[in-house]
Amino acid sequence: MSLVATELTHRIDGVAHLDGISCALERGRFYVVVGPTLSGKTTLLHTLAGLNVPDTGTITLDGADLAAVPVWSRSVSMVYQQFINYPHLSVYENIAFPLHRRRLAQAEIDSRVRAIAETVGLTPLLARLPGALSGGQQQRVALARSLVKGSDLLLLDEPLVNLDYKLREQLREEFLNIFSAQSRSILIYTTADPNEALLFDAEVLVMHEGRLLQVGTAQSVYAHPATTTVARIFSDPPMNLLPGSLDDTGLRLSKDVLLARPRHLDSLAPGPYVFGVHPGDVALDASGIASEVELAEISGSETFLHVRHGDMRLVAHLSGVHAYAFGENVQIALDSAKLFAFTPDGGLAAAPASGV
Amino acid sequence: MSVERGKLVFILPGLIVLVAIILFPLLFTIRVSLSSWDVAQPGLDWIGVTNYLRLAQDTRFWESFGRLALMAVGSVALQYLLGFGLALLVWRDVRARRFFRVLFLIPMMTTPVIMAVIWRTVFHESLGPANDVLHLLGMAPLPWLSQAGLAMTSVIIVEVWQWTPFMFLMLLAGLMSLPREPFLAAAIDGAGPIRTFLRVTFPMIAPISIGAIVIRLIEASKILDTVYVITSGGPGTATETSSYYIFIRGLRDFQIGYAASLSFTYLVIMAISLTVIAKVLARAMLVKDAAA
Amino acid sequence: MSALYRTLKYAAILLWSAFVIAPFLWALTTSFKTANGITGGPTYIPWLQYEPSIEGWRLLFSSGGGGIQIGGPYLDSVIVTVSASLISLVLGTLAAYGLSRFTYRAGFVRNADITFFFISQRIMPPVVLAIPFFLMLQFLELLDTKIGLIIVYIALLMPIAVWVMVDFFNTVPRELDESAMLDGCSPFEAFWRVILPNSKPGLVVAGLFCLIFGWNDFFFAFTLTFTQTQLLPVAIVALNSSVTPWWSLSAAALVSVAPLVAVAFILESYLSRGNLAGAVR
Repeated sequence: MSLVATELTHRIDGVAHLDGISCALERGRFYVVVGPTLSGKTTLLHTLAGLNVPDTGTITLDGADLAAVPVWSRSVSMVYQQFINYPHLSVYENIAFPLHRRRLAQAEIDSRVRAIAETVGLTPLLARLPGALSGGQQQRVALARSLVKGSDLLLLDEPLVNLDYKLREQLREEFLNIFSAQSRSILIYTTADPNEALLFDAEVLVMHEGRLLQVGTAQSVYAHPATTTVARIFSDPPMNLLPGSLDDTGLRLSKDVLLARPRHLDSLAPGPYVFGVHPGDVALDASGIASEVELAEISGSETFLHVRHGDMRLVAHLSGVHAYAFGENVQIALDSAKLFAFTPDGGLAAAPASGV
Repeated sequence: MSVERGKLVFILPGLIVLVAIILFPLLFTIRVSLSSWDVAQPGLDWIGVTNYLRLAQDTRFWESFGRLALMAVGSVALQYLLGFGLALLVWRDVRARRFFRVLFLIPMMTTPVIMAVIWRTVFHESLGPANDVLHLLGMAPLPWLSQAGLAMTSVIIVEVWQWTPFMFLMLLAGLMSLPREPFLAAAIDGAGPIRTFLRVTFPMIAPISIGAIVIRLIEASKILDTVYVITSGGPGTATETSSYYIFIRGLRDFQIGYAASLSFTYLVIMAISLTVIAKVLARAMLVKDAAA
Repeated sequence: MSALYRTLKYAAILLWSAFVIAPFLWALTTSFKTANGITGGPTYIPWLQYEPSIEGWRLLFSSGGGGIQIGGPYLDSVIVTVSASLISLVLGTLAAYGLSRFTYRAGFVRNADITFFFISQRIMPPVVLAIPFFLMLQFLELLDTKIGLIIVYIALLMPIAVWVMVDFFNTVPRELDESAMLDGCSPFEAFWRVILPNSKPGLVVAGLFCLIFGWNDFFFAFTLTFTQTQLLPVAIVALNSSVTPWWSLSAAALVSVAPLVAVAFILESYLSRGNLAGAVR
């Protein structure tokens, strides 16, 4: 069974929040929508849920057009960024709420609620009100409420973004366990953080300015980004993009950097290209290109070093904490075997061989 | 989608009731104003704009606007100054704040007419405490209710007593919701209390000031109860506001047709004036803020 | 701040407080006077300046000789005000929810215009409505009845309810409504089961405002009722123009205003919870 969206468009005040989105989603699969803020992720979820009516386009579930079905008759659940629960009901009643609407027997409701509470780790909190819970607990309640009715479509809109780092990691793991255990629903999870998508190892949809740029497994999108935009979105920090060219002598970057032409780029015709390299593939090497430090960003136990050589700017991702002064000279080396090549209009020309 | 149909359920009942109870009377008034309905000839006939021609010559009607303006502007201005002053005094002082908030809330909640009954005894020239207080201060007694200017003053005093709390509460809420940063910045820049007030406090609270003043002006322009009880429009017509005059013509003299034309004219003038005042105030206060 | 400023500040506050309380105190002492305490000039302190008596208060419950049956008007005021407030609250809250959540469009009229239409009714001077209301009620044979007055009050109080509740609903996250609908509620069920139970603060303030404005009305009660229905403000003012002695007048006035003082306390405790700075707007 599948959910098929065709040419969804939605404009507000001339700005396209959805611009011709088409995709086919299969039951039992877990999808992650990745895109920066204002890329249309939330609008897409609202539209799939039926809360938003698109200007054009259709959505069908197993062939049946959903446009005629009102929101409250659909089989959809949603978990929001802001912890949304019914404030006047206890945790138990919150989870039971969707089941009450379905007029199930009390005993049935009770067993389902308790089963889900157990799965999500809420059993000791069933009598409390959401206001008395921590952020993480509130999101668990929201998740439980969305799981209990076994809907066809389960939507999660950046649910972990308002939690602290440690809690995020913990909940992410729990989510994965819960999600992989079920096979009926279509799960769509949005995030602005590509690392999250890579952690989930799911099917990824990359969105930008209302358009769907690429669909594929997280690994394949990472290894073969279709355009420079995807390359920048799907990597944090963004992939370094360096204009340059290929000619008989080799690979040119900036005015004066010449590298040996790597094997995987052999088949490309000479001409101008934009080369991409992940910050993780930029290292400090005594025999490298001379550059000056512009900024040393220390984040946790890692350092992001922003360097400049002429008009070429790069970010290197170094492990460990290194303090560099502004203007200090360092030598950086690019692993040419890890270079991506894009044509000047942004399309992918060649990617490093996998396993490298 | 069904949401579209569902949403009408919410707004139609209220809208229909309001339209029925307010719009129809209004249209009816206009129709009545084109008739000569009074005690002698009840019923809807048609005399065209005769009533309107008559009211154009009615000096008593036009003078009432002047008195209304004086009363409304005078009392609202005083309410604003006093209310703002009190709010500024009490703003940072938590203990005082709660006590005075309750205390000051009370005049606003009381029935204006009933308080006016009490005030009338206060202003009684020989038996009331007003002149007694003046006597204590070594001043001569004043004919509070029998002299034109003083009668107006008496009404204004009562209005100020009743409604300054409203200004106080609104401005206090506004002051308390202001962000702290501009004040810290001003303190760092060495601004004294007066400069801070003029350059920081006053401009930031301008929108709320405007809102409070406009609301009070709208309410003050309808004044009738207080005048009725304290001065009955007198002495003579010294405190006769437009509402009061229309009341006399319509529900005392029972000249319904004429009163209807007075009503409608009054409504149009009020609607236009209040809208203009609101816009002018908004621009004046906000321009001052931009220039500051 | 300097000590001088502080003394001035508290002096100013004290002065204003005295001004606020003055009329109440005056009415209070006056209510305990008899002719002796009044005819010689104003007196203030019982036993020292005049002989107190509870005649004024006793007269509240008898008729004739300056007495007023205050029970009747009290009851009428309660019935009319509470009924009108309840109905206005219901209609107003429904309309406010619609205006807050949905987009209405009829020609060029939109949500903001409809809200303005509701709220602008406050500009309408009572005088302008008095004549048509009088004729309308006369036609419907509802003059001098509680029902007639209730209908009129609904028109006056509904805008207040709409004004307070629209502001309130705008602070409730829309995601709550959405969740309810996703969980199977129609828009009305979402309103009834989820939003309304979480709207108590707003409803209380809106309700209190309606009660206060309704209770305090004089003009419409005055022009539309006469003998069979008599609300409190009308009854008190009627006393004013006859030969009623000051002591029963003062007693009657105080008794009428007392419930409002109680309401002031209740309202203040709700406002001070901070969640309704917007409602004071």
